[in-house]
Amino acid sequence: MRVCDLAVCGGGVTGSCRNMSLSSPSVFRTVLRSWTAAVLVFLYLPILVLVAYSFNASRLNIRWVGFTWKWYGELWSHAPLMEAAKNSVIIAAITTVLSVVLGTLGAWLLHRHRFRGAAAIRVLVGVPIMMPEIIMGVSLLVLFSALAVPLGFTTVIIAHVTFCFPFVLLAVRARLAGLDPALEEAALDLGATPLRAFWLVIVPALRPGIVAGALLAFTLSLDEVIVTYFTASPGSATLPLRIFGMAKVGLNPMLNALSAIFVVATIAIVIFSERLKRFSR
Amino acid sequence: MRAADTSAQRRPGWAAWLLLTPLLVWLLAFVVAPAAILVAYSFAERDELGRVGFGFSLENYGRIADATYVAVFARSVGYAAITTAICAVLGYPVAWCLARASENWRHRLLLLVMIPFWTSFLIRTYAWITILKSEGLLNGLLLWLHAIATPLELLYTPTAVIVGLVYAYLPFMILPIYGSAEKLDPALIEAAHDLGCGPWRTFAQIVVPLTLPGFYAGVLMVFVPAIGMFAITDLMGGARVPMIGNVIQDQFVGQARDKPFGAALAVVFMLLFVAVYWLLQRRAAEREPA
Amino acid sequence: MNPFRLLALTCALLAAPAARCAEQLNLFAWSEYVPQKVIAGFTKETGIRVNYETYASGEEMLSKLLIGGAAYDLVQPPDYIAEAMIKNKLLRPLDRSKLKNLGNLAPEFLGLPHDPEQKFTVPYLTGTVGIVVNTEKVKEPIRGYRDVFQPKFKNRIVVVNDNREIVSWALVTLGLDQNALTPANLATVRPLVAEWIKLVKVFDSDSPKTPLLNGDVDLGVVWSGEAARLIQENKKFSYVLPAEGAHPYVDLLAIPTTAKNVAAAHRFLDYVLRADVSKLISDEFPYTNPNAAARKLLSPEQRANPASYPQLEKFNTFRDIGKAAAGVDKLVTDLKSAK
Repeated sequence: MRVCDLAVCGGGVTGSCRNMSLSSPSVFRTVLRSWTAAVLVFLYLPILVLVAYSFNASRLNIRWVGFTWKWYGELWSHAPLMEAAKNSVIIAAITTVLSVVLGTLGAWLLHRHRFRGAAAIRVLVGVPIMMPEIIMGVSLLVLFSALAVPLGFTTVIIAHVTFCFPFVLLAVRARLAGLDPALEEAALDLGATPLRAFWLVIVPALRPGIVAGALLAFTLSLDEVIVTYFTASPGSATLPLRIFGMAKVGLNPMLNALSAIFVVATIAIVIFSERLKRFSR
Repeated sequence: MRAADTSAQRRPGWAAWLLLTPLLVWLLAFVVAPAAILVAYSFAERDELGRVGFGFSLENYGRIADATYVAVFARSVGYAAITTAICAVLGYPVAWCLARASENWRHRLLLLVMIPFWTSFLIRTYAWITILKSEGLLNGLLLWLHAIATPLELLYTPTAVIVGLVYAYLPFMILPIYGSAEKLDPALIEAAHDLGCGPWRTFAQIVVPLTLPGFYAGVLMVFVPAIGMFAITDLMGGARVPMIGNVIQDQFVGQARDKPFGAALAVVFMLLFVAVYWLLQRRAAEREPA
Repeated sequence: MNPFRLLALTCALLAAPAARCAEQLNLFAWSEYVPQKVIAGFTKETGIRVNYETYASGEEMLSKLLIGGAAYDLVQPPDYIAEAMIKNKLLRPLDRSKLKNLGNLAPEFLGLPHDPEQKFTVPYLTGTVGIVVNTEKVKEPIRGYRDVFQPKFKNRIVVVNDNREIVSWALVTLGLDQNALTPANLATVRPLVAEWIKLVKVFDSDSPKTPLLNGDVDLGVVWSGEAARLIQENKKFSYVLPAEGAHPYVDLLAIPTTAKNVAAAHRFLDYVLRADVSKLISDEFPYTNPNAAARKLLSPEQRANPASYPQLEKFNTFRDIGKAAAGVDKLVTDLKSAK
């Protein structure tokens, strides 16, 4: 921290920073990396704690009592929890795909074209981000019940896409701002159809924005409670719904165990897929 | 379609309209329709049980002007603003660091930022409680280091609320900035260096201005949802001060059972947002002529 | 993004349709209030699959039911919500000939004001709202609300985050009826509630035992089941029914008029009324069990827990107050905000 403060002063006060050793690019890079590392520690601090406490022998999980594996065993035999976990992952995955399609196309078309009402659409896209979850949940339920759509996976996914795709759209739009229009023109001049140009030139250029948006959508969908409550049927309850319920009786180490498995499994999938990528090259 | 002009922004042809259709239908069905229901509710009346009946009244809007609700609203905006500022300060360097990382590391780091948020919010928050409580890990560590003599009061304070909010929203600041920063031409940075600009100045005067679209997106994704957030303030702040989210929630699924009033609160909340957003859009449009 | 492609593949595999039983029962109940063992036991015995959907408050359940979401065969309302539901014809009269174990219930929990003829509801678990004291930290005797809400205990108190509860405590403290939430009465209790709210450190309805166990507070006004768990965990906690007047409540099971599988709902009701099944519920949730036959199966330690089985004189439950709730809500929001 101290190094960083000093360095900021060095750069800021003198204005011209050519001769300051602290302002050399390598110092800057080190500071940037340490900052990032510190933020990652902040992000993982509670995760480490919850993983550690998943091995705590005390049911109330307030104090450390002793080491045990039993919560993992109990978790395995808790069918509704496992089913809810499965539901959550399915819903989040489908939501992400739909949100990416809707958000990317929307961002691109709004960026590319000028027409009356475009500004209104831009504002409308912002509405789900700021609509309180309870309002969205209740009004969607009113809508579904008026249209006699039975509640279930479909309604939950519709609801999730509605509050997720604006995040993709915004992330992609931020990326689009200032994108060189010559890029697409060049592709068109080379004889590509506009759709091919979009797919082959624009999408790759937008990839970081799309990836960022997809990650946000997946994360949001995976952990949403209130909208899900109103749009889910008994058969399509997601994990956060169950967890919110269980935490009523106080936090159960079994839930810690579940989260620990989730984190470890995700990291394993990432490592595995990287290996796969390297292998396939 | 092929014959369409290729100026930077053009009028949409039929194919573009066709592609826009899903978005338009989705917005109409699942954003405009619920919003319309909400507006209708806000003028309606309710019965004893909390069912919304037909009727027209402006009473619900009259109640909002009450000092109680104005104060609640102001407090919610205040917490959201502080959260957004801290997220920006913490997140900007991280986003830039991610964007500068090698291709291999970039995606790994990006996932590393997100993975903590794939566990349940509630369990993460309870982990923070374990850390911050008076007999908690942080106090234990500080006592052990003899940095303090008696446990600090950390949990159930505004500080704890801010920690919880920043924790929950940080990735929503990092990711859009990253998306924007990744496309910055390295040549630009090199040119700045060649012109004698140190890395700090380059960061402040070139990187930040050029990634502002990402930053604005981040502000929208952090500030706006944070205003309505109440679960964190309840758990980490002890629910001592109500947020606008609490009040709205109470009307719909709480004892108040007053959906029309809750709807009126939400309508005002959303109108304020739309007004601010509209103004920002117009200013942005003026600044960068197409 | 390879990780995502892999994730998608995993999902596709997981999505393989689960085996469906012929008969299903949609149970809409408080989160984690019906033990997994009970549900599994019912399915094993009858072959009926139970879809257990949960909610966090009676009002939440009512909201979803009123708008008309999925069809639920059984709901679990608290007493005053059941009263409102009966008034508005949202519940279906029970077929008592199908409830052979109804006799297991202790008479004091039957015929209460919310359902005087016991036509629509069956008590599930009951409890009280009372005071928990950490006797290691608080040495003086605590008998009622007046003893808890003292300036010297500022920031050492947790209470349930329930606006109507805190207002009702103030009402009984001033000798008023806890159900008389008239504007005049609200104005009378306002200064007292304002004073109390300033002293409270944590408002938590979900797990008020947590700050007590964590040592962040030493006194609490909480649900008796939470208190019973605290006592199970550590004998330093004691439970006191407030001298000013305790508030008991009953959580019920009932069949909504929109139910589809009424026969299965009755079978489930009769199943949970069985003494051995009801005992399983008590094992997991140490509230007061209204099932007299099940109580006989409990261990002496369970029965001796003062929070689970307190000495209650009057059974004075909450009544449906309709629109008056809005005033209560405004009052508490106002006072909390002024803090």
